[in-house]
Amino acid sequence: MKEAEQKTTHFGYKTVAANEKAAHVADVFHSVAAKYDLMNDLLSFGIHRLWKRVTIASSGARKGQTILDLAGGTGDLTAKFSQLVGDTGRVILGDINDSMLKVGRDKLRDRGLVSNIEYVQMNAEELPFPDNSIDVITIAFGLRNVTDQSKALASMYRVLKPGGRLLVLEFSKPEHEVLTKLYDIYSFNILPKVGQVVLNDSESYKYLAESIRMHPDQETLEGMMKDVGFEQTSYQNMSGGIVALHRGFKF
Amino acid sequence: MLGHFAIAAIETLANRLISLAPQVQARLAKVQGQSLVVHVRDWQQFISVVYASEGLMLQVHDAQPEYSDCFISADTDTLMKLKEPSRLTQLIRQHKLDIDGDIHLAQAFSQAFSELDIDWPEHWSQYIGDAPAQLLWQAVSQGKARALEAQGKLDHILLTLLQDELKVSIHPLELTQFTRQNRQLKSDVQQLEQRLDKLLAQMPMQQTRG
Ligand SMILES: C[S@@+](CC[C@H](N)C(=O)[O-])C[C@H]1O[C@@H](n2cnc3c(N)ncnc32)[C@H](O)[C@@H]1O
Repeated sequence: MKEAEQKTTHFGYKTVAANEKAAHVADVFHSVAAKYDLMNDLLSFGIHRLWKRVTIASSGARKGQTILDLAGGTGDLTAKFSQLVGDTGRVILGDINDSMLKVGRDKLRDRGLVSNIEYVQMNAEELPFPDNSIDVITIAFGLRNVTDQSKALASMYRVLKPGGRLLVLEFSKPEHEVLTKLYDIYSFNILPKVGQVVLNDSESYKYLAESIRMHPDQETLEGMMKDVGFEQTSYQNMSGGIVALHRGFKF
Repeated sequence: MLGHFAIAAIETLANRLISLAPQVQARLAKVQGQSLVVHVRDWQQFISVVYASEGLMLQVHDAQPEYSDCFISADTDTLMKLKEPSRLTQLIRQHKLDIDGDIHLAQAFSQAFSELDIDWPEHWSQYIGDAPAQLLWQAVSQGKARALEAQGKLDHILLTLLQDELKVSIHPLELTQFTRQNRQLKSDVQQLEQRLDKLLAQMPMQQTRG
């Protein structure tokens, strides 16, 4: 496994060449972009909004700050941050996928949120910012899709200002057996079917379910954050550990 | 999560009300972007309030947010009393209230909401038409008046019941008698205590091994 990791990686349960994962992930999000928000509400019963509220509350965001909403997609977090940082601050919505960015930009413009938001296409593994330039980074349901996650975390650490913090909101490992079973039934049987009915695309949601299972659990992810330099790391389980919010600081 | 859910619901409701009250919007616009943090002592929670371009944003925190333009710490009882500015100094002296930062911000929020005076018939008329809205308003207003009247009656009945029927309040003579008995009991207990002390002193000292 170890030596193969250099050249291959997971795409859900499939093993693909490392340099191809990004393209596969891109396909998934190009295909779901237009209905992404609707599907989020549908598949999480709206609970993703609460997970995101907890993330905002933990961010300590305030006026004047520079915030990067990485893998920000359609900009749910960006919209809230834009309000909190005000005219003297700025929010960067960063995503590798231009279809998702476009949906995000249109949505936020329609809401009249323009003055302090920038839209930048970027790869989380190589962030296009100088060292020590950002106050808060959030990556919500994005890290799972990144090919080299440690490289991405290191890149985030580099661009954060001393005193800055990273918040990783991501699917994780449920705390109880029973919940795990129910969750499995839900995600492997119901998720792809809803994807099929609404988007005529069951593959993307099969990928979603598989990528969640392959993602590092709470402790492992916290360890990865420490490894690249984050301090005072901690995590908070939500909805019985289906989702976890990890937090780490750069000092 | 429950706290976040509750605060989300309150936020939605508050924004709904604000959207119906232009004078409140105008008042809050003056403090746009400034953050008020309220520490609710008996809940051990911090609630932050910011009025931003899209409306009111409320958040709950387990720990005190690092930054706020105005910080207030009190328990729920005291927070309810904050409407009367004359009591602030008294509450602070009693350590029931802490305020840090720009108190005008807290006052702005509190005033904005106390001025919340919504022209309900006007808004209802959009959905159900003018005449029905007016009728509905009358019904609601009458209902409110009747409820107040009923409450007044109930208070009166309770009072009479307590004073006349149940004789809950004590007669001054009864009180004197009770106090006398109480004093007697106290002195009996004191005597007993002294006797016990004597007995204990007479007992041979026992060493205990520690
Ligand atoms: C599930 S969406 C999350 C969107 C948004 N943060 C939310 O919570 O609703 C995941 C996003 O990650 C983006 N993404 C995947 N790999 C990325 C990478 N290497 N760098 C930056 N963004 C990436 C995808 O394009 C997609 O928009």
